[in-house]
Amino acid sequence: MEFEIRNEGDYTVIAPRGEIDFHSSPRLRRQILDVLGRGRDLLIDMAAVSFVDSSAIASLVEGLQQAKEKGRRFGLAGLQEAPRQVLHLTRLDTVFPIRARIDDWLEA
Amino acid sequence: MTRLLYRIGDVTLHTLDQAGRMALMLARSMVAILRPPYDPFSIVRQIHFIGVRSLLVIVVSGLFTGMVLALQFYNTLDRFGSMDMLGSTTALALIRELGPVMAALMVVARAGSAMCAEIGIMRTSEQIDALECMGIDPHRFLIAPKIIAGVLSVPILTSIFDVVGIIGGYLVGVVIFGLSEGAYFDSMAAGVEWNDVAMGLYKSLLFGLVITWIATAKGYFLHLERGGAFGAEGVSRVTTDAVVLSAIAILFGDYLIGAVML
Amino acid sequence: MGNRAQTAPDPVVQVRDLVVCYGEREILKGIDLEIRRGEVMVVMGGSGSGKSTFLRTLLGLKAPSHGQVEVLGHNIHTADRRTRLALRRQMGVAFQGGALLSSLSVGENVRLPLRAHTRLDENTMRIMTRLKLELVNLAGFEDMMPAELSGGMVKRAAFARAVVMDPKLLFFDEPSAGLDPVTSAELDELILRLRDAMKTTIVVVTHELESAFKIADRISVLGEGRVLMTGSVEAVRNSDDERIQNLLNRRPRDAVLDGDAYLRRLTGTDA
Repeated sequence: MEFEIRNEGDYTVIAPRGEIDFHSSPRLRRQILDVLGRGRDLLIDMAAVSFVDSSAIASLVEGLQQAKEKGRRFGLAGLQEAPRQVLHLTRLDTVFPIRARIDDWLEA
Repeated sequence: MTRLLYRIGDVTLHTLDQAGRMALMLARSMVAILRPPYDPFSIVRQIHFIGVRSLLVIVVSGLFTGMVLALQFYNTLDRFGSMDMLGSTTALALIRELGPVMAALMVVARAGSAMCAEIGIMRTSEQIDALECMGIDPHRFLIAPKIIAGVLSVPILTSIFDVVGIIGGYLVGVVIFGLSEGAYFDSMAAGVEWNDVAMGLYKSLLFGLVITWIATAKGYFLHLERGGAFGAEGVSRVTTDAVVLSAIAILFGDYLIGAVML
Repeated sequence: MGNRAQTAPDPVVQVRDLVVCYGEREILKGIDLEIRRGEVMVVMGGSGSGKSTFLRTLLGLKAPSHGQVEVLGHNIHTADRRTRLALRRQMGVAFQGGALLSSLSVGENVRLPLRAHTRLDENTMRIMTRLKLELVNLAGFEDMMPAELSGGMVKRAAFARAVVMDPKLLFFDEPSAGLDPVTSAELDELILRLRDAMKTTIVVVTHELESAFKIADRISVLGEGRVLMTGSVEAVRNSDDERIQNLLNRRPRDAVLDGDAYLRRLTGTDA
């Protein structure tokens, strides 16, 4: 997994690429907590993520929780089929704010 | 006649088979003990189980052992007029022989049997298979902490047994029979040498290892018992076996070390 | 770009001419079976069919006396320690009785594989554990000990533990045995959802026809140590093999009695 980070207005956007499994999810988690720690709103652009395992999901859950505690916004966008199914399996698709494209968040 | 020979051969083969398995298990556990990482939490938990929870039994049996020894020695020594030897004879008997042996037997009865049953139940309920399927080495996860705890706890329990036993002897010799306190402890200080203490220590270290080894191995290989062991009946059978085997091993080991070190 | 599970070799499990003995008794007498990627394969058989032994051999717990089992492209019995460990991390097993470690809480049991094989943060492991417990409807039971749970709950907790590492290959020993019909149906449902969402290959060993027909993509019927047939649910249902029909209709074996043999069994002194 690689990821890039950019700032778009109020949001910081993290865009990981490839597969996020228990080898790579700790890096994503640190990045998420770091951005939220700096008091930014956070979007995860999942468009280039082909696979997530439970540890990746757990990291996103922790991020969402932190964001809520700090009163920041946290959103996902551009989910591919496989990650969306994993979210659906754990019924987290009802918990995360999800939009089809990252621009849907930025334009809102 | 051929039936008898067949049976003898069968039993011999099975015994060798089992001894080999047990040796292999010990070797694997030793490798696990020597290679980090360790799980201090589970070792502490085992020390609590083997050591701390055996304390009461050790103290009570130590006290009475010391009292009985002093009673018998007092009578014997009285005939030869050498009552001031009571302190050293009681202490030597405790430190060299009875302390290690009795403490070890108590640990077998209290902790060895329970350990064997615990592992046996883990075998019959597929917990050990589950560990293996999770890629967790049962030798490291289950056996090694118990062996470490046994080797650490038994010498400590033995020394507690010795001390309480000596106090028991004091109660009988000094408090009941009116021997002078100085004579009891002076003869002890003069009579007991480092060699005696070392012998007791070696014995208890060995017993700690043997007790945990036999108890865990008997439970661990429950499914390979002769004629097949199964369920609750199997667990009770191997537990009894483990206790008997441990007791014999302790007495035999006691003789062996005694013979070598004397 | 597909799901990662698709990088698993196909077939995921390949069994060739497998013979397994206990002592001198031959339990499995030459089994060939292929388990394909992403399918639910139900291994069905009555008691004494050798299905439990077959499962233990697939898991690498019992060594075969002949033939081989390849799991994810490696022979599970002859692979070196490292390879075998790597295989184990990609396999989840839910045992019939749950096999939860009785000295650990439910949560610690589920977390055990994570602790052993990953260096994930404590928070991540806790959330993963709870996610899996949610999956099996055991939310809130994290701190209970296995002894405090009912048999069905233990079984569901064991399911959670089996999937905590997101295995590519999942084994179930008698998932519905001892469960009430509702829980049993829930577990069946969960098996199918896991297959669809995670593309997990799932092997179920059972004697329960109803659940087998509901979840199976393919069924392999074992009888007396051999594969009687392997095929789709339809194919098995319509098979005209008498032994399979006996199993499906719950007819006892040995319906036709050999009088002499029976008498010998009853009166013989030679075991």
